[in-house]
Amino acid sequence: METKTMTADQKIFSGQVKGYGMLIFLVFLSWLIFKLITPGNFGSGENMLTCFQASLLATVGAIGFYFVMVMGMFDFSIGANIMLSAIVGCIFATRIMGGMAEGSSGQLFGGYAGLILGALITGALVGLINGLLYVTLRIPSMIVTTGLALIYESVANFFAGGSSQVLPSNLRALGRMPGNIILAAIAFFVAYFILNYTKIGTYTYAIGSNEFVAKNMGINVRKYKVLAFVLSGAFLGLMAVLTISYSSSMLAETGMSSMSRNFVPTMGCFFGMAFKKYGMPLQAIVFGELIINIIFFGFIALGAPTAIQDVITGLALLIIITVTTKIEKGEIVK
Amino acid sequence: MSEVRLQVVNLCKSFGITKAVQNVSFNINKGEVHALIGENGSGKSTLTNMLTGIYTIDSGKFILDGKEIHPANQVEANNEGVSIIVQEQGTLSGLTVADNIFLGHEDMFVKAGVKNTVAMHKKAAQLLEEYGFGRIKPYAMIDDYNFEDRKLVEIVKATYFDPKIVVIDETTTALSQEGREELYKHMERIKKQGNTVIFISHDLPEILDKSDTITVLRDGVYIDTVKSADVTEDDLKKLMVGREVSGAYYRTDYDEKISDEVVLEAKNLTVPGLIEDVSFKLHKGEILGFGGLSESGMHEVGKAVFGASFDRTGEVKLADGTQINDIPTAINHSIAYTSKNRDSESVVMNQGIGDNICLPSLKELANKLGFLSGKKMHDFSDKFAKEMSVKMVNVDQFVSDLSGGNKQKVVLARWIGKDSDILVLDSPTRGIDIKVKQDIYQLMDKMRKSGKSIVMISEELMELIGMCDRIIIMKDGKINGELARSRDMDENTLIGKMV
Repeated sequence: METKTMTADQKIFSGQVKGYGMLIFLVFLSWLIFKLITPGNFGSGENMLTCFQASLLATVGAIGFYFVMVMGMFDFSIGANIMLSAIVGCIFATRIMGGMAEGSSGQLFGGYAGLILGALITGALVGLINGLLYVTLRIPSMIVTTGLALIYESVANFFAGGSSQVLPSNLRALGRMPGNIILAAIAFFVAYFILNYTKIGTYTYAIGSNEFVAKNMGINVRKYKVLAFVLSGAFLGLMAVLTISYSSSMLAETGMSSMSRNFVPTMGCFFGMAFKKYGMPLQAIVFGELIINIIFFGFIALGAPTAIQDVITGLALLIIITVTTKIEKGEIVK
Repeated sequence: MSEVRLQVVNLCKSFGITKAVQNVSFNINKGEVHALIGENGSGKSTLTNMLTGIYTIDSGKFILDGKEIHPANQVEANNEGVSIIVQEQGTLSGLTVADNIFLGHEDMFVKAGVKNTVAMHKKAAQLLEEYGFGRIKPYAMIDDYNFEDRKLVEIVKATYFDPKIVVIDETTTALSQEGREELYKHMERIKKQGNTVIFISHDLPEILDKSDTITVLRDGVYIDTVKSADVTEDDLKKLMVGREVSGAYYRTDYDEKISDEVVLEAKNLTVPGLIEDVSFKLHKGEILGFGGLSESGMHEVGKAVFGASFDRTGEVKLADGTQINDIPTAINHSIAYTSKNRDSESVVMNQGIGDNICLPSLKELANKLGFLSGKKMHDFSDKFAKEMSVKMVNVDQFVSDLSGGNKQKVVLARWIGKDSDILVLDSPTRGIDIKVKQDIYQLMDKMRKSGKSIVMISEELMELIGMCDRIIIMKDGKINGELARSRDMDENTLIGKMV
């Protein structure tokens, strides 16, 4: 049967054009819907810039979480990790600043170093614990991370002494422009570089595709799975820096309340998975998080009750992922 | 005298109580194509899987060029100078062509932890060009290519570093004639370089034509090593089976009239991009063959009849007027289907033989309250597994432990157990040894005689000629001719309509 066949170059080009086209259309559509419903309160340039800045928070976490998800694993401790990393970062920053001469040039530098390194290292450590327990216990990642989330919440609560940790006002530059954009851009390019220009990226996709074959190719599957969790944790640590800088404080709640923080990075990551076949997963995460935040901002502008917001947000995201995920006929979805 | 490349010394491997390879010893020389033959489950793949690090060795050793080797995985085997091209898909989705070629060997492009993608693509492009596969682009995702092209990428992956030994494990059955020719070309090249090919195939004429030396295994035991030039196909059959393969291989009747009773009629079947306007009638007690090139659409016809095609138009109607538009309706109306892609579409790999056989018959096996009895299921599956002579420990054994031919027997046992009246068999003897093939042909003949109707889809022209009452030839998704059973029909008659 005669069918039009495309060259590899044409396939790559047309796939990316289609992918970007769909994402830009979705951004525009979500903006347009709320703009038409509530033209006075939503959709101005300034409003959209704030929305974009808010989306950067989860973007940073989602691009790290992508390493875990693309290998076929999951992490329910995202929210707890952000909470714990933000609190440790904040404590480090405060302590380091407190130990230095008031107003000295080193004090600010020390504060930022404490904040970033404290959160980054804590995030990576949480990832390391997740990964090590997952490969050692040999039980599903969802179960391991759910159990650990409870522990991380409690540890965060213990460190914070049960009270809200407030980031010193002079250490909040990463919560606004241009600090937040610079940090998010660095995170994006680091993730992009690792995925495309290191063995880690190749092995991440190889393990996600067929773990058995990957193992036969001499890939140390356990090591790279742990590494994926460590990378994910480190990026979530950076998300924690952006989060506490943006909101200025973090309260360590227990009883699985951190789960609500899982939603936005996870949804962004789903965008990445859906657009992987167009060769642009990380770019899709950036757009995806923006779309999610436009929907959130739109609801705030509408003044809709939280319950209604949740129902419509959930439905909207399911529809978006369903429409944009190009499942082949007969492909099995689990 | 030729120089020895590989010594296999007292090699043993067991899976549970199954002894897959028992104390096997033989030598393989430099610069030869050394075939490894034997019935399904004879231990060929187990042996080469140990050589390439996929399985561990229980006892015994491989000595390569005088040095004992113990590869723990395929990359270590590559580093020792051994590579493998497998029967099923061996490339990984989600990676580029270049990533797949150099998977496990990226270090040659990595400096200070950074992978030089440009250099890697350049090298892959150069290799693909050298192999004559220049149309495959190194930077494209492997998923953009079909099964055949992905196999060509595997050829590059397995041979670009000039390994001392290349194992080709039943790869040709998955390739079209064009793909096979490419593979033969590279086998010849490897041999000319003084390296060795270990060639596993069930196609005895192919074995005799392409190999220099043949080693025969039976039930995991070494039987003999012979020169290809000194033996005939019948000699090999005798060595493989352990006795003369007597009796007819294919059907011997030629003048039987096909019944006028139509049991199934397909009208204007169309599946976009795959088949177009395919119409035919299947009669009671008939074996209707479908032949053609791999991509001719014939495999889709089987799916379309079974209600397994997507976006199918046209109709499939039974004698009582029932329309078959989905799989449950097909099964409920006594239609069976075996897919060409056995592992991914026909068997449930991580389930027992018994569960696989009982799967479509659960309704019949359940009592009035809908409950299933373990004993009843066990007895049912045991009966049909034994009827098909499945080589197994018991029906609780996982299907994933079985050889290709035994998996196919499980699939057939399933539908015999279901007592289906219409069987759609896509490539029923793919990757199956001579003895099991004969069993399957005899089973088909018996079924035909008992009034069951069979649609047989096959890329093996001789079995179509030998077994079918009529053969429909597909080309470019359409029917390109129909031939009635005849003594005078030969492969050339079919090829003329296929290409």
